[in-house]
Amino acid sequence: MKAEKNFPLVRCAGVAKRYRKGSLWVTPLESLDLEVPRGEFLALMGPSGSGKTTLLNLVSGIDSPSEGRIDIGDIAVHELSRRKLAAWRARHVGYIFQLYHLIPVLSAYENVELPLLPDGQSKRDRRERVEAALSLVGLADRMHHFPRELSGGQEQRVAIARALVADPELLVADEPTGDLDRESADSVLALLRNLAEEQQKTIIMVTHDPKAAAAADRLLHLEKGRLLEDQHVK
Amino acid sequence: MSSKGLINLIPLAGKQLLRHRVRTLLTLLGIGAGIFLFTLVESMQGAVSAVTGAQASEATLVVFRENRYCPSTSRLPEYYAEEIAQIDGVREVIPIQITVNNCGASLDVVTFRGVPPELLHRYAPEIEVLEGSLSTWQKTDDGALVGKNLADRRGLKTGDSFAAAGVRVRINGIIESPNAQDNNVAYVHLPFLQQASQRGLGEVTQFNVRVEDPAMLDRVAEQIDDRFRSGESPTFTQPESAFFARAAQELIELTRFTRWIGLGAVIAVLGLVANAVLLVVRGRVRENAVLQTLGYPDRAIAWLVLLEGLILGLVGGLLGAGCAWLFLHFSHLSFGNEGQIMAITARLDLVLRGMGIALILGGVASLYPAWVSVRRPIVESLRS
Repeated sequence: MKAEKNFPLVRCAGVAKRYRKGSLWVTPLESLDLEVPRGEFLALMGPSGSGKTTLLNLVSGIDSPSEGRIDIGDIAVHELSRRKLAAWRARHVGYIFQLYHLIPVLSAYENVELPLLPDGQSKRDRRERVEAALSLVGLADRMHHFPRELSGGQEQRVAIARALVADPELLVADEPTGDLDRESADSVLALLRNLAEEQQKTIIMVTHDPKAAAAADRLLHLEKGRLLEDQHVK
Repeated sequence: MSSKGLINLIPLAGKQLLRHRVRTLLTLLGIGAGIFLFTLVESMQGAVSAVTGAQASEATLVVFRENRYCPSTSRLPEYYAEEIAQIDGVREVIPIQITVNNCGASLDVVTFRGVPPELLHRYAPEIEVLEGSLSTWQKTDDGALVGKNLADRRGLKTGDSFAAAGVRVRINGIIESPNAQDNNVAYVHLPFLQQASQRGLGEVTQFNVRVEDPAMLDRVAEQIDDRFRSGESPTFTQPESAFFARAAQELIELTRFTRWIGLGAVIAVLGLVANAVLLVVRGRVRENAVLQTLGYPDRAIAWLVLLEGLILGLVGGLLGAGCAWLFLHFSHLSFGNEGQIMAITARLDLVLRGMGIALILGGVASLYPAWVSVRRPIVESLRS
C-alpha cells in the first residue's frame, strides 16, 4: 500500500448494503460516500441500527457491499475474493472488538501471536513482533498472564496489541470502551489517540459514548443507513 | 497459507482441546475403547491367519481317524507308521499322541503333544529352548517342554510340575517357536503320554507325514487312505493346512463374525469423533469468526478443526491400541477348539494399524465439521 500523505487511506463511494431477513429486505447502509485520510482517528456515532457496525465491517473486509466501491489504499477491497480478502485483512487491518474476544486458554502473549500463526513466520520473528506490540500497549510485564488474570482494561489492551501485531495501517474498533469502566475506557482511548498520532494508524471507531467520540479527530453521525453529520472534533 | 503456517497451528489445536477437559477425556476414552476392541478383533484374525495360512507351504500331511474331529476320539494303531513309511514318496512318518483338557471351544486349552523324543527336532525344527535343556527332557520319561505362552499363562517355570487332562508332568524347559501352535503346547514323550492318558501303548492320535515333493501331497494322501480303508481304523489324510482349517472351522467362523464387531467399533469411533468435533465447532462459531476477522483464511480454520479430530484420533488410538497391546502381552490369551490352538499375540503391526485407523477416522470424522466451520459468512457468525 502506498504511504502518500494527505491521500485518503479509506475511500467509500456510493456504498450500500442490503440483505434479506425472512421475507423482508433490510438496508442498513445506503449510498454512503466517505474518505478517511491516513492517520486520522474517526468516530462513528448513531442509534442502534444506523449502519455504524455495517460500515465498519465493510471497511474491514469482513462483509461486502451490495453496491458501490471501497478502496483502501490502492486496493479495491470490494473486488477481492473471500480468500484474497482474508490475506488482505491479515496484513492491512486490525480489528478491535467490544468484548475483546481473547481465547481463554491462551496467555496474553499467545493471544497476540494469533494473527501471525498462519503466516508461517519463524518463532523468533513472531516473538519480536508480539513483544513490541505488548510493549506498545503497556503490557510487556503481563505477557504470560491468562485473560482471567487480567482486568477488563488490560484485556482490551491485549486485544489492541493483537490488532497491532501485524502492523496494519487501518485499525477498526467496534465500541472498544463499551464494556469498560470510565478509568479503563479513558486509558484505552488515550492509547488509540496515541496510535493515531505517534504511529500514524488510521482508526475508525464505532461508539455510543460522546466522551469516547471526543477523543477522535472527526465524528460522523449516521442514522438509518445515511450520513447525517460530518464534524471535526479537533 | 504455507506449510509452516499449518505447523504453527498444531499447538493451538491441542490447547483448544484442553478447554473442555472432561469432554475431551470422555471422547478419548470412547475412541480408546473402540480401538481396543478393533485391535483385539484384528489380533484374533491374525491368530487365525497364523494357523491356517502359515502351514500352507509345507509338504506335510496329517493322517487322522476318519470321521473324527477331536484328538480324544481319533485313535490309530501306532504300527500304521511302518506301513505309511513304505508308500512311495513318503520321507518320514512321526506318530503323535495329542491330549487336550478341553475339546470344545475354550480360552484355556492345555494340549500335550506326545512325540518320540528323538524325533522332536524333526517334528518341530523351529523351536528354541529358552530355559532348561532339551537333553534333560530327552532323558526324563515324564518330562515336558512347555511353550512360552502356556508357561506364562499358567505361571510355569523349569523345575515345576503341573497336571492337566489327568496327566502330570515335570517341566524340563520352556520353548519358543515362530509357529504360534508350539508356544501353546507341552511336548512330552510319546510312550509316557500314551500311558498317562490311559490310551495304552501302541495307540496314537495322528501321524504327521512328510512327503518328498509338495506336488505329491494329494497322491500320497489318497494312497494312505486307500491302504487303511478296510482296516480296523480307516484314516482321513489331508495337507496340514487343510487339516488345521477343518479342525479350526468353528473358530474361523467365530472370528469371521468378530469382523462385524471390529467394523462396529470403527463406526462407533467415527461417530464419536464427528460428534465431539461438531460440538466443538458449534460452540466456537463466534471465535472462529474472530479468527477469520484477524485474517485466518478458511483453510486455516478448517485445518484447525481437522487437527482437533486428528489429535483426538491419534491420542485415542494410542490409548486403545496401547491398552490392547498391554492386555494381550500380559494375558497370553489363546483360544482353542478340537485341539487346535490359536494364540492371540500382541503384534506391533496390529497396534500400529489400530493407531493408523484411529488417525484416519479422526481426520474423516472432522471433514464435515471443518466444512461447517467455514461455510457461514463472518458477520453472521460474529452476531451469533
